[in-house]
Amino acid sequence: MRVRVLLFGPYAVAANAGHIDVDVPDNANASGVLRSISMGFPALAAMVAGARLAVNHSFALDDDAVRAGDELALIGMVSGG
Amino acid sequence: MSTLPRIVIVDGPVPEDFAFGAAAASESDEVGAELVFDGIVRRMEADRPLRALSYEVYSPMAERAIEELARAMIAKHTLASLDVVHSRGLVPVGERSMRVVVRAAHRGESLAATGEFIDRLKKDVPIWKLPVWG
Repeated sequence: MRVRVLLFGPYAVAANAGHIDVDVPDNANASGVLRSISMGFPALAAMVAGARLAVNHSFALDDDAVRAGDELALIGMVSGG
Repeated sequence: MSTLPRIVIVDGPVPEDFAFGAAAASESDEVGAELVFDGIVRRMEADRPLRALSYEVYSPMAERAIEELARAMIAKHTLASLDVVHSRGLVPVGERSMRVVVRAAHRGESLAATGEFIDRLKKDVPIWKLPVWG
């Protein structure tokens, strides 16, 4: 399946886009999505190591399932305040 | 007795006179310390002059994360309240990007809670700032 992953801050700058569309297996989990981003998007590969995936506005655990229609976001180093 | 945290996101700088409104009467009776922390955009970043910072907020996750963090601080430090306003978009140098208001019975709890809250906000809340160089 293809999932859309939202990008913010330096991640959006590196990819020059506010989102990316990522092909993942139908039974993908959060760590699998991160792995697919790392392999499929060279501009983000070096930054994915320190990032977390949010699924429907909550940080996901590595084994959490990802389903079509979920809102995914790559949450890297944040810098509010 | 504590009150629910008030979380506000504003477009642009936080106004100097921004206020969350009056505290509940039951809270005021217990409060002996009120700490107001303002985050201000510095002129220099990594030895380069800035014109502004541009804040990007992932809503509604950011608001939810701030609220969960505020609730955790209220419980851990026995606060009367913890309220937050944070900017989204462009904040010029010298303007406020965040205000945290903490009320507690004593200064110790308010000081500890404010420091921990900001440290954790900068680690766990999906808000990013990008430099706009001068």
